[in-house]
Amino acid sequence: MIEIVLIILAPFIGGLLYGFERVLRARMQNRVGPPLLQPFYDMAKLMDKQAFIINPTHALLGIFHFLTLWFVVALLILGENLLYIIFLHLFSTLLIILAGFSVNSIFSHIGANRELLVLLAYEPILIMIAAGFYILNGTFEITTIREQSMAIFPLFLLFLAFILIMPIKLKKSPFDAAEAHQEIVGGVEVEYSGVFFEFLYMAKWLEYIFIYLLLLLFAGNNILLGIVLFITLFLLLNLVDNATARVKVQDLLKIVLVIGILLSFTNLIGLYYV
Amino acid sequence: MLVTMLIVLPLFFAFIVLLPSVKTRNVLTIAFVMILAGLSVTIATSFSDGTQIIIPHAMHNLFILIDAIVLLYFLYEGVIKKHSLVIIFAVIQIVLYAVVLYLPTTLGSYDIFVDTLTSTMYLVINIVGGLIIIYALEYIQSEAFSVFKKNAFIALLFFFLAVMNFIVSANNIEIFFLLFELTTLCSFILISYRQDKTSINNALSALWVNQMGGVAILVALIMSITHYNTLYFDKLLLHIESFYMLPLLLLAVAALIKGASIPFDKWLLGAMVAPTPVSAILHSATMVKIAPYLIIRLSESMNEFVSLGITLLGSFVFFSASLLALSKDYLKEILGLSTIALLALMMSLAAIGTPEAVDAALLLIVFHAISKALLFLQVGILEKLFNLKYVSNINNLINDAPLVVFFIIVGFASLSLPPFAAFVGKLIAFELVIEKIVDNPLYVFSLIFMALGSVFLTLLYFKLLTKLLAKDSDKKRTKVIEISKFYTVPSFILVVLLMVGIYINYDMKLLSDLEIMIPLLLIVLLFIAFFKLLFKNAHRVKEYHCGEKDEVVLSMYYFELPSFWEKMIKFITLIAIVFLFIGVLS
Repeated sequence: MIEIVLIILAPFIGGLLYGFERVLRARMQNRVGPPLLQPFYDMAKLMDKQAFIINPTHALLGIFHFLTLWFVVALLILGENLLYIIFLHLFSTLLIILAGFSVNSIFSHIGANRELLVLLAYEPILIMIAAGFYILNGTFEITTIREQSMAIFPLFLLFLAFILIMPIKLKKSPFDAAEAHQEIVGGVEVEYSGVFFEFLYMAKWLEYIFIYLLLLLFAGNNILLGIVLFITLFLLLNLVDNATARVKVQDLLKIVLVIGILLSFTNLIGLYYV
Repeated sequence: MLVTMLIVLPLFFAFIVLLPSVKTRNVLTIAFVMILAGLSVTIATSFSDGTQIIIPHAMHNLFILIDAIVLLYFLYEGVIKKHSLVIIFAVIQIVLYAVVLYLPTTLGSYDIFVDTLTSTMYLVINIVGGLIIIYALEYIQSEAFSVFKKNAFIALLFFFLAVMNFIVSANNIEIFFLLFELTTLCSFILISYRQDKTSINNALSALWVNQMGGVAILVALIMSITHYNTLYFDKLLLHIESFYMLPLLLLAVAALIKGASIPFDKWLLGAMVAPTPVSAILHSATMVKIAPYLIIRLSESMNEFVSLGITLLGSFVFFSASLLALSKDYLKEILGLSTIALLALMMSLAAIGTPEAVDAALLLIVFHAISKALLFLQVGILEKLFNLKYVSNINNLINDAPLVVFFIIVGFASLSLPPFAAFVGKLIAFELVIEKIVDNPLYVFSLIFMALGSVFLTLLYFKLLTKLLAKDSDKKRTKVIEISKFYTVPSFILVVLLMVGIYINYDMKLLSDLEIMIPLLLIVLLFIAFFKLLFKNAHRVKEYHCGEKDEVVLSMYYFELPSFWEKMIKFITLIAIVFLFIGVLS
């Protein structure tokens, strides 16, 4: 029952998280920042706007990107097969990439293209992380993984690799080349407006939920550790976001793939010998 | 009885379709395909495991005669076309074959052996292959050849099915060799069908590469006879000892060659000069599928070293072929490389050899065949009716040919997304390799290659899809091109078969109900919304160009691999094979 409630509330929790993050970032820069509920005010305002679309396919793919992501989060909360969830998440990302290419817009194309490149960087590492959990617990079922004691120590290097890819999915510096507001005006987002942009906005919040729920897996059944991990990483990511400049997408690919694969490789080999 | 019919009937069919007029030919072919499909389904469903048939002695002599003729024909082609490699390999094969015939064996067994693996292969060969033949009826009609040559094309395809049906049931390695050579012969004739310069060159290179496979089988056969005193698969696999794995490894190498695994990939990519049904049938139902089939047969007796070696090599090829495909623009070449990649994945799975691994490999064999056939049929339509061969030339296709776009999307989606069976095969592949890491840490390499390769492949498919969906905001349908029923009906049937795959996933509990329902729901919703939800109330606007007034032409992205790395990949695979031999010998 609580799962159902959580699933329904997931976008709102994500929105709150997003709002809180904006406040936190502002405070780090000595600004007051927007109110906590600013994302929801944005939503209300977007709802009021006139609907503009380029073509139906484009609008449709945006909506389905959001829907699929919601299902991904739902499965994650329900505790289904981790590897399957990772692939379904891949599907949701592919939908937004298709959307990016379905309009004749330069920024949308560049954004979609970069989205593809970063996908190349983080997807193999997500699979490796799933592999780590499988070796540790003998199953991909998240319900089982959550019942085990914390996985962060045996999977420490994979955990580091995960930290490396977190900024990519959360669109944070230094790995936010796919969105890059100042440079390519938000990439795939640029052609969405009004109510259609709302779906993309909510999808972004769901992406937060997805990433932080994956993070919690490393804590296993230790709720305290989960909270500590969440708070630490939340602060750390925002600090890094404030303190670093954007990395070029080619460099992002090299850095994340080389370091990430090396870390996960060492960890998986290590698991055999321990 | 049914098995014999399945092998002999296509031969008769091949003769019959040579004669009649176009209309009778078409009707007869459809009837024949239905008969074959019906037979294969009957065998698969009403089947008691382990049908065994002994072929009478007189037939053996006939086989030897055919084999001699085929080998001499290869030699003749080599001499006529002045191709030294073909000549060399033909001569080597003739000598080795003579040695095989000279050597006596005592350990006898059945010539034909049919188990679940074989009957599954029957399904793939006859149903998917049959659909391609129906498609070929229309395709070949639009080519400028004489009536007899057109009929011969159809006849040859039936002959190919007969050979394939036989080869997957052969338990006698000598007969297996003959059939192996016959598939080489079929592909040689089919690739050189157009008789222009490139066709002939590519056919010759396909010939000598596949002849190497024949040599490998013959050497394996000689070793099997001298060492284990048998020329039967079952006896060889039963008696083979861990310290003398060489015959088994040689057979596996023959499989790698048939499966066009890198470094033997040139021949399959060269095969695309032939009419598209040939590519379709080579890539999906026949020829290359011998590779994973043979590895599955051998896997039960592989020792740890060979099994690990082939799994590692396979996953490396999976990774490199997907990577290479990203830089290609020619549609058939892209599909070809993705076939090579997926075949390598099947082989590495099969080499693991546990029952689950074999099941997953079978799942991939069957549903890869269906998806690839579907895709190649569409490529043929694009080539014939829309004059499109290169991805970069595709534009506004979704308005011109929505049905073709639909089939292509289904084809690619079924290879990479849940809840389709090929996806499940991949999922199980990951699970099995990860399980193996616990036994041997070297499997981590396999996992990394598989993870990277599967991401590359998905990128590849969606790179193509983006191009299909691209359209201007207000361009209307320009031309209406009627697509023949011979093209669309086989495609629809293939889509239905993919749906059967989803049902199998459900039936065998390969995915939980939720995991099947959610993507199905999404797909159905997306499909309905695509036609129904047109956002009539929303205002149409032009794209935002930051105030710049530029024409935008959508182009593709390519990940060009420096040629050094291409050579490196070849080199690594070669080294790996050499290393396998050294490891087995020592």
